[in-house]
Amino acid sequence: MSTQNIIPEVAHKPKPNPWVIVGRGVLQSFLVLLGIVVLYPLLWMALSGFKSNTEIFNSPFALPQNWSFSSYVDAWNNGVSQFVVSSLIVTAMSIVATVLISAWTAFGLTRTKIPGKPLLVGFVLGGMMLSPTVALVPLVRMMQSFGIYDTHWALILLYTAFRIPFTTFLIRAYMLDLPYDLDEAARMDGATEGQIFRKIILPLCQPIIVSCVILHVLFAWNEYLFAMIFTSSADTQTLPVGLTSLMSKHGTDFGQVFAAMTISALPIVIIFFLTQRYFIRGLTDGMGK
Amino acid sequence: MEVFSKTTALALIFGCASLPPMAAQAEMADPNATVEYSGELSILTKFGMQRLQPYFIEMAKKYEALHPDVSISLIQEDDDSVKGKTKTLVASNSLPDIFFSWTGTWGGNFVRGDRAVDLSPVIGPDTDWGKTFAPAAVSAFMYNDKYYGIPLYLDAKFMGYSKPIFDELGIDVPKSHAELIEACKTIDAAGYLPVSFGNKEPWAGLHYLGQLLAYNVPQTVLEADYDPATATFDDPGYVAALNQFREFQDACTIGADVNAISYKTAIQQFSDGVSAMYYQEIIEFDSSAKPTTKLTPDDFGFFVLPPAEDAAGDHMALEGAPEGYMISSASENIPLAIDFMKFVTKPENARILSAPPFGQPPAVQGGADSENMNPSVVEGLDDIAEASYLIQWLDTVNHPRVASEWLSSFQAFVGGTKSAEDVVADVRTTAHSIRN
Amino acid sequence: MAWLNVHETSGASYAGSTPYSRYKHLAAMMLEWRWVLPAFIIVGWFVYYPIIENFRVSTTMQDIFTGEVENVGLENYTRLFSDKVVWSALRNNLLYAIISIVFQVFGAFIVAAIIEDLSSRKMRNFWRAVYFVPSAISTTVTGLLFYFIYQPDIGLLEEVMKILGLGAYAKAWLGDEDTAIYAIIGMSQWQGFGYSALLFTIAIQKIPKELYDAARMDGAGALRQLWSITLPMTREMTGMMIIVTITGAFQVFNEIMVMTGGGPNNSSQVLGTWLYEMGFTQNDMGYAAAIGSLIFVVTTMCGLAQLWYTKRKRVNT
Repeated sequence: MSTQNIIPEVAHKPKPNPWVIVGRGVLQSFLVLLGIVVLYPLLWMALSGFKSNTEIFNSPFALPQNWSFSSYVDAWNNGVSQFVVSSLIVTAMSIVATVLISAWTAFGLTRTKIPGKPLLVGFVLGGMMLSPTVALVPLVRMMQSFGIYDTHWALILLYTAFRIPFTTFLIRAYMLDLPYDLDEAARMDGATEGQIFRKIILPLCQPIIVSCVILHVLFAWNEYLFAMIFTSSADTQTLPVGLTSLMSKHGTDFGQVFAAMTISALPIVIIFFLTQRYFIRGLTDGMGK
Repeated sequence: MEVFSKTTALALIFGCASLPPMAAQAEMADPNATVEYSGELSILTKFGMQRLQPYFIEMAKKYEALHPDVSISLIQEDDDSVKGKTKTLVASNSLPDIFFSWTGTWGGNFVRGDRAVDLSPVIGPDTDWGKTFAPAAVSAFMYNDKYYGIPLYLDAKFMGYSKPIFDELGIDVPKSHAELIEACKTIDAAGYLPVSFGNKEPWAGLHYLGQLLAYNVPQTVLEADYDPATATFDDPGYVAALNQFREFQDACTIGADVNAISYKTAIQQFSDGVSAMYYQEIIEFDSSAKPTTKLTPDDFGFFVLPPAEDAAGDHMALEGAPEGYMISSASENIPLAIDFMKFVTKPENARILSAPPFGQPPAVQGGADSENMNPSVVEGLDDIAEASYLIQWLDTVNHPRVASEWLSSFQAFVGGTKSAEDVVADVRTTAHSIRN
Repeated sequence: MAWLNVHETSGASYAGSTPYSRYKHLAAMMLEWRWVLPAFIIVGWFVYYPIIENFRVSTTMQDIFTGEVENVGLENYTRLFSDKVVWSALRNNLLYAIISIVFQVFGAFIVAAIIEDLSSRKMRNFWRAVYFVPSAISTTVTGLLFYFIYQPDIGLLEEVMKILGLGAYAKAWLGDEDTAIYAIIGMSQWQGFGYSALLFTIAIQKIPKELYDAARMDGAGALRQLWSITLPMTREMTGMMIIVTITGAFQVFNEIMVMTGGGPNNSSQVLGTWLYEMGFTQNDMGYAAAIGSLIFVVTTMCGLAQLWYTKRKRVNT
């Protein structure tokens, strides 16, 4: 869309500047080189999951001598399966809670006559500025006194609370751009606000909601700080924390550690490639607007 | 402004939800109390690891079979999770009747908070029960001249070595610091790594230093220095021990780079036959040499880290500590809780703990099942029994801030950015800053 | 300003009504609150309240084992200023911010410009996605991965350096007080630049291509176009990215915990990990809360800067 248009123009000019072509070649090889730097470590990680300890350290660049899935199987049986389940539970439950509450709030903040709206907007969206680290010390005691320390509920609650501001921000921005005549028409037909929300606005917001879900998956699947503090036993730990405790228990079996890392990274990479479009919308809406 | 007042109102409403825990009351065990065999007993263990889990389950079943009116509930945590879990239980005033504790500062927390029962009348050295334990194990749980813990198993640090490499190079087990250095030079010349050592987690290195301090600094001086109120850290033995460590580091390890290596990598190098020695805890013996690793259990040997001949401390001291259990002062049936622990520490039950799959060296004398145990672990237990005293891990016996200073300063010393004198001076300054 | 209108019309409607209907109206207004109540409670309770509570805790010394809470006023804060590690942690957070701005904002901008210069749409999407991949992966995974890559003797980096004939310069990157923090920051650049590059490609796509056509008519070369069109036209994105990067740099935690745990000799501690060490390893919650307050001040300033920046942008456009 931008400067790439230079190329055809340059091409049909009588004398193409050779420096431009050389320069472009250099830049493109730079992209390839950078691509290798980015991808090779990840590839190495996945391949090391197939190797023995000696192979990993003595011939790091070689392909595995025999493609055995045993490290992957061991990693899965030594706790990774539990961590995956915990991550799935926490991610799924907090998605539902976050997106529902955020959409509900965003509707209230854009399409109803709530008194004191600007203050409410400031309150909810202001939460985006607050750093989870700062809340850590008091949260520990709160979670302890609720009796949900070291349970999935602690993480579901916190992921929801700390993601509502951002998710509401995204959905609210999207709702502000939706035409208001739809509501008016529905209201004429005697629809209540609840009905307008459920039957008209929510379906229209589907694209941004998909984006929100994906961004939330990215967040909840990878979150470490809360997961590390608020879960301690093997059956509540999510993948990012579970991996570090796997490292301390089976740390000498490096093949297994690499396999566990790969298992943990794979789902999110696949989700990214499958849903790139929504992903990018969420990111750009989150930054710009 | 309005937002602010709303949140403060909210804070007032919910503030009560996070009040700190109430203070507890001190309790002392009564040796003449009659045990009432009924009711519930809750236990927080550190045997949450799959391999160890069945031990307390089995004990509970046996005890319940003996006393049908007693029911036992277990909370089993592992090494990583037990601290967090214990703090949570303390904060919510729901500490179980019996709970796991380390020696040193961690156990001191429960004593300071009056949360542990003073067991002196039942487990003190002159009592019937107390006499069944290795004396060093019971006294490791002594605070203010009172006994608070029931030791269950012992841990100590030894230098493991590869018999094939030692045989190949004609090296004998070193008897002194100088001999160890000589051995390292021979091994290095033959192309092996003498000692694999990882100091990314600095407690690993501090374990070497702890043993060297015991050799170089008299016990009474060390013990006075553990307490910030009486600490002086002016004994010349500290600098001597650090300098011995420097000699060891230069001759036996890869040098300053050890700060980048995890102890897990180090143990792997030993199992893989890359290194000739690895300094390890007795409870690691079974994992550093396995039938499946290059270094098999038959190849595995060990010795006590040898002292320098001119060291001014105690040459018979050994670094190690028991781990054990305490009784909650809030327990409604203290005599029953004590009775259960007496049951668990009976020699026949200790033998179950010492045999595979558990393999924990018991704290009870005569509790070792030498026929079924790893022979190296049995020998290690003999060394522990011969030791004049057990010097505890530096990072658990010191005040947390002093411990933290030891850890970071020692890492700097290993990395070559701090001199021995500066390490001791910084530890001293930290200890003094707590006193004031 | 829409909210003002809403307010005024509703005010006008009940000014002339009966007390009963006024009450009913008020009830209806209160009923409207149902829309924000769930978010209000959850965010208020778990986000705002703990942060306020953090300030209270920071003026106390607490011992969870005895249950004693002692009010010490500002003592934890004076200790904060005399704590050498706090200063070096602050310096590390700043280093993190500065280096990330260089690579993840300006470096990523250049990468984005090169990508957008490609003629094939497929290739543009391809590179953009490839560079983004590490950002999608948990920092625990990338941190552990680079822990292995940085290992002395056996690590991948040292192997690569040997191949390039630089073996003599290899060292224990994470084990040296002088290099540990840079090694971690380096990993972070590897992981994060693709994220910002992706955002920049989108910003560049939004630039009207007539501008470039016009520039070419005037005989401007590719570099000249980059400097006088692409850069100024993405200035808003750049400003935003800088603020977001600084905020992120003050919340760093995961990579440090995984790669060095703050060592050696606390040389790679940042504020977040030092808070953890104090509060959760040394059980000194009051002091940890004081460190939390420091993080709050810095991140809130960044947040306000971001707010100001967006506001200003809205006024301008």
